[in-house]
Amino acid sequence: MKISKKLSENVLDKLSIDFLRNQVLKNAYGNDDTVIAGLDPRILIIWYLFFGLVPWFANDLTFLLGCFILVVITTRMARVAGLVLFLFGIGVFSQTGYLLIVTLFFGGDASAVVPLLILTLKVATVSLASVTIFSGLDPDKLANGLMWYGCPERLSFSISYAYRMLPVLMEEFQNVLLSYRLRGNPPDNSTFRGKIKYLAYQIKIIIQAFYPLMLNTAKRSRTTVEVLEIKGYRYASVNKAVKKIKLSSMKVTNNDLLFLAISFLWVAVTVLISTII
Amino acid sequence: MNVIEIEHLTYSYPGASDSTLKDITVNIEKGDFLAIVGNNGCGKSTFCKTLNGLIPQFISGDFSGTVSVCGLNTAETDVGTLARKAGYVYQDFENQIIRPTVLDDASYACLNYAMKDYKERGMSALEKCGLTGKHNDYIWQLSGGQTHLLALAGVLSLEPEILILDEPIAQLDPGHADRIYNVLRELNEKYGKTIIVIEHHTEYIADYCKHVMLMKDGNIKWVLPTDDALRRVDELQECNIFPPQVTIAAHRMKKSGKMEPDVLLPTTVMEGKDVFALKENTKVKNSVTPSEKTEIAAEFKDISISYRSVKGAPHIVYSDLNLNIYKGEKVALIGGNGAGKSTLMKMMVGLLKPSSGDIFLYGENIREKKPENLSRTISMVYQNPEDMFIKDSIRADISYAMEVRNIKDTEEKTESLLKRFRLTELKERDGRLLSGGQMRRASLAIGIALNPKILLLDEPTANLDIATRKEIMRTLNDLKEITETVIIATHDMQLVCEWADRIIVLSGGKVIADGSRNEIFGNENVVSTSGIRPPEIFEMGQTLDKNSLCYTIDEFLESFEGRRMEDEDIEKIIGKCAG
Repeated sequence: MKISKKLSENVLDKLSIDFLRNQVLKNAYGNDDTVIAGLDPRILIIWYLFFGLVPWFANDLTFLLGCFILVVITTRMARVAGLVLFLFGIGVFSQTGYLLIVTLFFGGDASAVVPLLILTLKVATVSLASVTIFSGLDPDKLANGLMWYGCPERLSFSISYAYRMLPVLMEEFQNVLLSYRLRGNPPDNSTFRGKIKYLAYQIKIIIQAFYPLMLNTAKRSRTTVEVLEIKGYRYASVNKAVKKIKLSSMKVTNNDLLFLAISFLWVAVTVLISTII
Repeated sequence: MNVIEIEHLTYSYPGASDSTLKDITVNIEKGDFLAIVGNNGCGKSTFCKTLNGLIPQFISGDFSGTVSVCGLNTAETDVGTLARKAGYVYQDFENQIIRPTVLDDASYACLNYAMKDYKERGMSALEKCGLTGKHNDYIWQLSGGQTHLLALAGVLSLEPEILILDEPIAQLDPGHADRIYNVLRELNEKYGKTIIVIEHHTEYIADYCKHVMLMKDGNIKWVLPTDDALRRVDELQECNIFPPQVTIAAHRMKKSGKMEPDVLLPTTVMEGKDVFALKENTKVKNSVTPSEKTEIAAEFKDISISYRSVKGAPHIVYSDLNLNIYKGEKVALIGGNGAGKSTLMKMMVGLLKPSSGDIFLYGENIREKKPENLSRTISMVYQNPEDMFIKDSIRADISYAMEVRNIKDTEEKTESLLKRFRLTELKERDGRLLSGGQMRRASLAIGIALNPKILLLDEPTANLDIATRKEIMRTLNDLKEITETVIIATHDMQLVCEWADRIIVLSGGKVIADGSRNEIFGNENVVSTSGIRPPEIFEMGQTLDKNSLCYTIDEFLESFEGRRMEDEDIEKIIGKCAG
C-alpha cells in the first residue's frame, strides 16, 4: 500500500512541467562531456545518414541486429535523458505491441513474428540513431554541422535559438498554469466520473493557458528582437566571412576517425557474419 | 571633448499624438558617469534608445533634430557601427541573453561583426565584468546579478566608448548591486568609458555618479554635478525622485529651523557626519513592542527540499527547517538572491512539496491537499505580476477565483476590490498593458480576492520607481487591516523597516536571525553575515551614535538635529564638498 502510494506520487511528480523543463535542458546541454558530444558534427551527420537510412532498405536479420546493438551502445555513450528513452520505449513498444496482437489475433505463428521483429529492429535502430545525434550533440554544434553542409543560416540559428527559448517558454507556461491552479476550482476527482471531469478540466486549463502564455512571451521578445538587431544578427546572416569563422571552430580529430572506423568495422563484421550464415 | 552631441531632438512614437522627446539639446562629455533621473514616462528610456540608433532606424516614428555619437550621425550610420560606439543594457536584461553559454553570449556580437578575435574579446569582456572562470557555464546557472554582468559583458565585448544601462540594479540585492556599480566605476576610471545610467536609487547616484540629468515631460530640465543636483530636494521630489535619506533629513531640519540655513546639504553618510548631532538628553527608545505570540498560523516541521539540477547532484535549498509563523504577524523574509525565499512561499501554497517534513496551516497538514483547496486559507502574489493575469481584463482576473467557486455577490465584491485598489477606470484593460504600479495593484487585488487568512507577497516593490513604491507601501499598510497574517519576501529594507513587525533572515537554507528590527539591524553579526543592508538613515544614526536605532526619517529627526557650526567647521565642509 505504502509502496503503491509512493509510486503514484512519484509518477505525478515526474509529470510536472518543471520535470519536463529539466529533461529538455538535460537532453540538450546536460551531456556535453560525453564521447559523442566531443565528436565533429559533420562526421556524426554522415554517420547518421548511414544508420538513419540504410536499415530501411535492409532485410537481413543479422545485419539489423548488429546495427541495433551498435546504436544501443552509442545511445548509452551519449547519456540520453530518461524521458527521451521512455518516449522511445513507448513508441517502439506500441508499434510492435499493436502489430503482435493483430498477428496473434489472426492466428499468426513464428513465421509471422520474424518479419515483425525485422520491422521493429528497423524502427528501433533508426530512432536510436536519431536520438544519439539529436540529443547527444548540443544544438549549437548540430546547427554548425548542418550549416557546413549548406543548410541556410536561418535554420541553424532557429535550432539553437529554439533551444534557448524553450526553457523560458516552459517556465512561463508553468507560472501561468500555477495561477490557474491557485485560483481555479477543479471538480472533485474521488469518483470515476469525477476523474474524467477532472481530466477534461485539466485539458481545458492547458488550452486556456496558451493565451496568457503567448502575450507574455510576445512582451518579452520585444527586447530580444531589438538586441538581435544591435548584436548584428541581420548583418551576420548575409556575411560570408562570419560563416567562415563559425565553421572554422569545427575540427576533425583522431576520435572522429576512430569512431567512424569502429562503426565501419562493426558493420563490415555483421555483413560478413550474415553472408556466412 | 563631447562624445554625444544632441541638437533640437524631437521624437514621437508611431501613432502617438504627443511627442515623447521635445526639442532636446545637450552635450555629454567623454569620461562622464551620468545618471538620468525622472519620473515614469518622462522619456528616459526613449532618450537612451536614440543614442544607439535604434530610434529612428529600427523603431520608426517622427524624428527631427540631430544626434551625433562619437562624431557619427545616428540617423545615417548603420546600427552595427553605432553598436561599437554606444552599448545598451536593457532593464529586462535576461531577455538580452541570446546564447546558451556564457562565453558564447559574451562574444556573440563580435562573431556577428566578423571579428576574428571574437573569443578573446569575449573573454576580456568577461574579465572586466568579474565573470572570469564562468565562461563555460550555462546561462541558467547564473544568479540574477551575474546574468546582468553577462548582459553587460555582451555589450562590452564590442568595446564601445559609451555604455548605457537602464535601471541596472532594480532586481538585485545590495551585494550584487554594489558589484555592478564597482564594475561600472572601474570601467569609467580605468578604461575611460563614458557611462550613462537610468537610476532611481539616489544613494547609488551619490556614491558613484559624476553628473545628474533631470528629465521632465520629454525635456531636459538640467544637467548638474551630482552633489548640486541631489541638493535640489524640492525640485527632485516634485518629479517623484527621492534624494538620499540623509539629504532629505537635513533639508527638513533646515525647514524647521533645526539646522543653520547656510549649511550645505549632505548627500552621503560621510558628509552627514559633519552636519548632524545628537539632540541633548534624547533617550534611545525601543519603539516596537513584540507582538503577542498566540495561535500558530503556519508551522514548518523538519522541512527538507531540493531542486533537480541539469547536471550533477540536486541543489539543496533547505534541510531540516523549523519555523513558526503566528496569527496576526507581519513578517518580512529577507536574504540575498537565491536564499530560498520564493521556495518557502511556494511550499506554503502547496506548489512545491517538501521531500521530507510537514507544513501545517492552522494546525492542518497540507501534504495531502491540493493547492486549489488551500486558496481560501492562503494566497500568493508573484514577483512577476504578468504571470497572475490569466484573463483578458483585470476585472475578469479579479473575479475569476470567486466565480469558479460560485461565491455570491461576486460582482459586488469585485467592484469593491477595484475601488479599493483604484482600478475602476482600468477594469476592462488587459493587465499586461498597465504601468508597473497599476500592474502591481491589480495583482494584489487578485491575491486577496478570496479573502485569505494568510497572504504571501514575493517582492511586491521590485522594479518600481520610488513614487510607485511609496504608493504600493501605502496599499500594503491598508492591507494590514484586511488580511490577518502577511508575509513579504523582499530586498527592500525601507519597506521592511516601515512595515514589518517580525523579520526573518534566511541565508544558505537556514534561518540565521529572527526577531524585531532592533534585534536584526542592531546586531552587527547578523548584518555582516547575511549581507543585508539597513536603510541609509539607520546607518547615519549609527555612525553618529552607536546606540541610536532610527529606521525612518521621522525617527531620525526626533533624536538628531543640525550641528551648531563654528566658522572653521563650515570651511572644512565646503572644502570637502568641493573636493
